[in-house]
Amino acid sequence: MTEDRISGTVSRRGLLAGAGGIAALAALSACSGGGGTSKTIKFWNMPWGGTAFSPLDQKITLGYKPAAGLPAASYQAVQWANFTTTFATAVVSKTGPAVSSGSGTQAFQFAKQNYIAYADGLLESWQKNGLYDDFLPGVLASMKTDKGYVAVPYNLDMRVLWYRKSLLERAGVNPPTDWQSYLDVCAALKKIGVFGFGIASGAQGNGSQALTGLLINNGGGLFNAEQRPDCVTSANIEALEFVVELVRKGYMDPGSVSYSDTNEQSQWKAGKFGMGFETPALDQYLGGAVQADMTVAAPITGARGGQGALYFPNNIMMYRNTPSQQGSEAFLTYYYRNMAPLWTKQTGVGLPVLKSIAATSAFRSDPNAVTAIDKWLPICKTWAAPGGDALFANVSLVDSTPLMSTFAQSVLSLRATPKEALTTLQNTLTSQWK
Amino acid sequence: MTADSLMESVRKARRGVGIAGPGRPRRAPRRRPTTRGMTFVLFAVPSVLLLLLLNLYPLLYAGQQSLRNGSLVDAGSFVGLQNYTGILTSQSFWHATEFTVVFTLVGVFGSWAVGLGLALLLRPGVPARGALKVLLLLPWVVPIVVSSTSWNWLLATPQSPVPLLAKHLGFGDVLFLADPALAQVTVCAFKVWVSFPFMMMMMASALTSVDSTIYEASRVDGASGWQTFRLVTLPLIARPTYISWILMTIFCVNDFPTVFLLTGGGPVNSTQTLVVLAYTTVFQDFQTGPGIAIAFLMTIVLVAVSVTLYRQIRKARIE
Repeated sequence: MTEDRISGTVSRRGLLAGAGGIAALAALSACSGGGGTSKTIKFWNMPWGGTAFSPLDQKITLGYKPAAGLPAASYQAVQWANFTTTFATAVVSKTGPAVSSGSGTQAFQFAKQNYIAYADGLLESWQKNGLYDDFLPGVLASMKTDKGYVAVPYNLDMRVLWYRKSLLERAGVNPPTDWQSYLDVCAALKKIGVFGFGIASGAQGNGSQALTGLLINNGGGLFNAEQRPDCVTSANIEALEFVVELVRKGYMDPGSVSYSDTNEQSQWKAGKFGMGFETPALDQYLGGAVQADMTVAAPITGARGGQGALYFPNNIMMYRNTPSQQGSEAFLTYYYRNMAPLWTKQTGVGLPVLKSIAATSAFRSDPNAVTAIDKWLPICKTWAAPGGDALFANVSLVDSTPLMSTFAQSVLSLRATPKEALTTLQNTLTSQWK
Repeated sequence: MTADSLMESVRKARRGVGIAGPGRPRRAPRRRPTTRGMTFVLFAVPSVLLLLLLNLYPLLYAGQQSLRNGSLVDAGSFVGLQNYTGILTSQSFWHATEFTVVFTLVGVFGSWAVGLGLALLLRPGVPARGALKVLLLLPWVVPIVVSSTSWNWLLATPQSPVPLLAKHLGFGDVLFLADPALAQVTVCAFKVWVSFPFMMMMMASALTSVDSTIYEASRVDGASGWQTFRLVTLPLIARPTYISWILMTIFCVNDFPTVFLLTGGGPVNSTQTLVVLAYTTVFQDFQTGPGIAIAFLMTIVLVAVSVTLYRQIRKARIE
């Protein structure tokens, strides 16, 4: 009799019955729970700003009250660490979101594999309700492919020219307006022990983006109108020769070749960097007393007389794996109409894509952000430049990849001439082309 | 029977071979499966199945993917051995292989030399031995993210402490992470710094197993300190040494964070190892086929090295 009892109170039969019950409950809850969850619009968003971003974003998302018959929305913040793997495994296993942000080129890659629900229907409805016309000029075009709009622009990042006002004043110079005056300002800064070409080109730096911005500034870029690599051009060589001149004349911190963003920021804070091409949020990253000293300059003119810069239209995409396409579109309409606090409450998110947000007094109170939107955005182009503005799947080969880091490092360390570096880039891109 | 043939017979006897030769092999008696044996097998089946599921299936799947031109979201199409031939003819692969070899050799023998030296210094009788051992273990215990961030802070910019010190000592502006050759030296030094505590512990435990009377005997025989170390200590700790070399070789070849967090493989790929190349190929260039092929080639080399070193262990045991 005692053998039948595992403890003083539970018999073996009782234990088996209990275990069976728990298993049955688990099976039932798996069926009902899974079904229930799949009936919500799963919105996965990246932490685009500081610590205040995700809680406010979640609040906006959960404030969505769907119309009768449409699913509610759930929220998940996806961390940047290994996010490509997170999305890839979730989307392929059909456990992913119905709506998400992600990398700037993610939608184009997923569209190629037929995982994306094109946004043409959504944008058509937005033409009727006025949201379509609220987008800043040019940003929607960057999402357009032959098959339709793969995503909707959400926030903007770009590489603008920053300078430290006090350091330029100490050097007795004004901000540059073209490449020659950039060299002159650098020379003046060098006399006071400051580098005028602040850049971070390590694996955790954005140096290749700054260089690509200069290629575009000179009318160059990486891709032609057929969306094929076209790197070895006279405009690109000329732009990189300008960079080489900056390096040779000692206007760049030689350590920059291996700097991470953090190293770069410490150099800005230490007053070692006086100018450089960086994200519009740089002043917020630096914080403290330096923040007030940081100023976005007006765009400078390249050697060929034109202007241009690199920008990244981060976007929100819809997936075919959704409980309701109508529900995804209804949620996104709600979200775009209610997302303004992410900018007006200074969460650190990138620049807005909507005119109505860019026109708010809260946004206009930041002169650097205003310069970026008013003066830089009109001359900005995407990675697809100079061939076009619309992004495409193969852009992911240059979107902050190791290949681009190596390209930038080989130029900045003077281990390759501009032509050699561009030729290597062209050959590698061609070999990786899909 | 001559003395030579007698000695040969003794050697055979030691190996368990009869003087007249090994003889006809005896057929092992057929055993009937017992209830007890069957129970053990049944208990083992779930674990074996789980192991197969967790290891064999991913291995086979990865092998299949290495023969395709897929990406993270697309299985791609079958391309045969194209990924392998592509890798074996790529300059970046051979450069990464070259640095992996250097990184591994310096990592294994550098950390072993430092670890053994410290283990010899911290033998019983040394004052505050326990406290010193704990302090020396810190590089191994501290998370690698913290260590690499600390090293970056110490070295990265001209205002960092070590470059400042180098400048004060008259070496000029030393770019520890920006100069390709110096970055390689720095990464290898970082690896030795992170790994020597492990070697120190392995060697300390090996040294305690050596009978102290052997040292007394060698002293009586008039052996110098160097002779004792070379002819007594090293042979007697040969087996644990080989084991530690095997382990450290595997640690070094598979070491991703040390390189990735400190330099990311740069500048200009100078510190790129095979494991970093495999990672960036799969997760940053989105080329799963070539990335997995690199990982497979690494595994083959690692197995070959491990088998070679394992044979050395067996040899050491026989001797």
